[in-house]
Amino acid sequence: MDLSLLRVELCVAVWIFVLLAADVFLAPAKKEGLSWLALAGIGIALVVSLQPLPIGPAPTGLFALDGVSHYFKPLFLATAAAVILMTQAFRPQMPQHPGPFYVLLFTSVLGALILSSIQDLILLFLGLELLTFSLYIMAAYLKTDGRSVEAGMKYLILGSVSSALLVYGIALLYGAVGDTSFAAIRAFLASGELTLAAQTGILLVLAGLGFKLAAVPFQLWLPDVYEGAPAPVVAFLAVGSKMAGAVALMRLLFLALAPIQPWWSPILASLSVLTLLYGNLGALGQRNLKRLLGYSSIGHAGYLLMGFAVGTLDSARAVAFYLLAYLVSTLAVFLIVCAATDELGGDDLDHYAGLSRRSPGLAAAFFIALLSLAGVPPLAGFVGKLLVLMSAVAADRLWLAGIGAVNVAISLYYYLMVVKRMYVDAPPSPSPVRVPAASLLALGALILLILGIGICQAPFLSRINLALIF
Amino acid sequence: MAETVFFYIFTSLMLAAAIAVVRHRSPMYSVLSLLVVMFCLSGLFVMLGAYFLAAIQVLLYAGAVLVLFLYVLMLLNLSPDSLNRANVFIQPVAGITAAGLLFVALCRVATQSPLPPTPTVAQPGTIEALGRLLFRDYLLPFELTSFLILAAIIGAVTLAKGKSPS
Repeated sequence: MDLSLLRVELCVAVWIFVLLAADVFLAPAKKEGLSWLALAGIGIALVVSLQPLPIGPAPTGLFALDGVSHYFKPLFLATAAAVILMTQAFRPQMPQHPGPFYVLLFTSVLGALILSSIQDLILLFLGLELLTFSLYIMAAYLKTDGRSVEAGMKYLILGSVSSALLVYGIALLYGAVGDTSFAAIRAFLASGELTLAAQTGILLVLAGLGFKLAAVPFQLWLPDVYEGAPAPVVAFLAVGSKMAGAVALMRLLFLALAPIQPWWSPILASLSVLTLLYGNLGALGQRNLKRLLGYSSIGHAGYLLMGFAVGTLDSARAVAFYLLAYLVSTLAVFLIVCAATDELGGDDLDHYAGLSRRSPGLAAAFFIALLSLAGVPPLAGFVGKLLVLMSAVAADRLWLAGIGAVNVAISLYYYLMVVKRMYVDAPPSPSPVRVPAASLLALGALILLILGIGICQAPFLSRINLALIF
Repeated sequence: MAETVFFYIFTSLMLAAAIAVVRHRSPMYSVLSLLVVMFCLSGLFVMLGAYFLAAIQVLLYAGAVLVLFLYVLMLLNLSPDSLNRANVFIQPVAGITAAGLLFVALCRVATQSPLPPTPTVAQPGTIEALGRLLFRDYLLPFELTSFLILAAIIGAVTLAKGKSPS
């Protein structure tokens, strides 16, 4: 096959070995430099991924470098870069040997990059496994912290069950179709009737992907894992893993399952409603910030599913924009959480009391990022939610859009409760929170992006419209 | 006819052994039951004409991997009592319900929607045909699997060395 299709993946793969070698040969005192080496690798891959797409015939084979993958690959790499910066800010809590952590982050990113290009069920399975397997270990990385080990264990067990469902679904679908490629599945579904074997297979595959997205009823693992895992890992779970699941689902639905859209649309719509309500109502009573963000990320998965359920090209583009807005807002939130956890003494909401009097700038950034997650104009999150809801209205799914709008109001309540803690309550101590310069720079850039994407959407929208063509 | 009989022998034995893997109190018996599962699976491979795969299954899984399992278990020297199983009422109920639902769904699939016949391969089960698939058609998944194994090795070493939570 043509290796130039795999250029971004090859960069990441080569850098895995660079990191491994550096981890072996660097003196223990100099291992702090590994994070910069990892950042350099992500930087190289990012430059390669931004190269313009060659104009050629429609991609065939297992793996495609098309508009969708070209749009999402830089986003995965940017997420990885932000997570590396978070580990720097989170350093007091990280163990002394950071090398394996970065290697696992890179294998995880490799899985996500593959998922953005899949054209075949076998690659779907391998990409998901590569992504998730690395995350099981990263979630349990703080070995001396019982909660982290518990999070890794829970994630491993439930993740294995979902992988088993996915493989079973792939086997049934292969049995029904006789091929694993998306093109063959599409041709089969377009020509004949939808056999029961194919239906069961597709449902099981959707269940496996629902676990990645944390859609109800496959969300049970999420709050505990978010609360226990180290904050940088949670950031990658919330952004990288969720986005990878969404891209894989998008490719599967629009490339392979497009002919039976009337069949899967109501299924996804009902899952979307359940996911929205579960996530947003569950977040209301939370006292731990990471757990609250976990429930809110279930809520965001509901909006993604809503976009998929509508199933038009416009709704797919809305989901792509939503993911961009979700990425910048969530990464900003987690940069602050990672930088502040050590100084504040924990990640319960009580620890954030009076943050505005300790570090006004940090509190203001937190305020903007949370409002963007809630969907307040003129921030990025608002435009994402608006586009998804408008695509539902345009497809005559008024009830779906209505439930989505109600959930915006619910989510505003718990995000504002966090803001109230920061601005109204009295701080336990007046000392300001120190943040590393690199994290501060990244945080500034993310806040500018939240404002920029929200106020001036046109360049981002035209980029998405060019990239997403099914 | 003989094929059908052998198929049912192998699958029923495999299912029984698989249940024993999960249900048995002693991990040693679980591993030995897993051995039975692997042998039955390779029997099914033989019936499909995948002779090389069947041989590899026995050599690698039944031979190497399970011996490693046994070795680790003997080093750990777990007594059956050290594996306390929480007897939560909801656990078996939920498990049996989910398994039952899946079973009903699969029964309906098996009875109502016959799968198309397996495509016949020109050279069934030969090393050449397998090599062609692995190293030409599915080269990318093959290479990715090696990264998956790399991640697993690094993870195992990272989690196993050093202190554990007290």
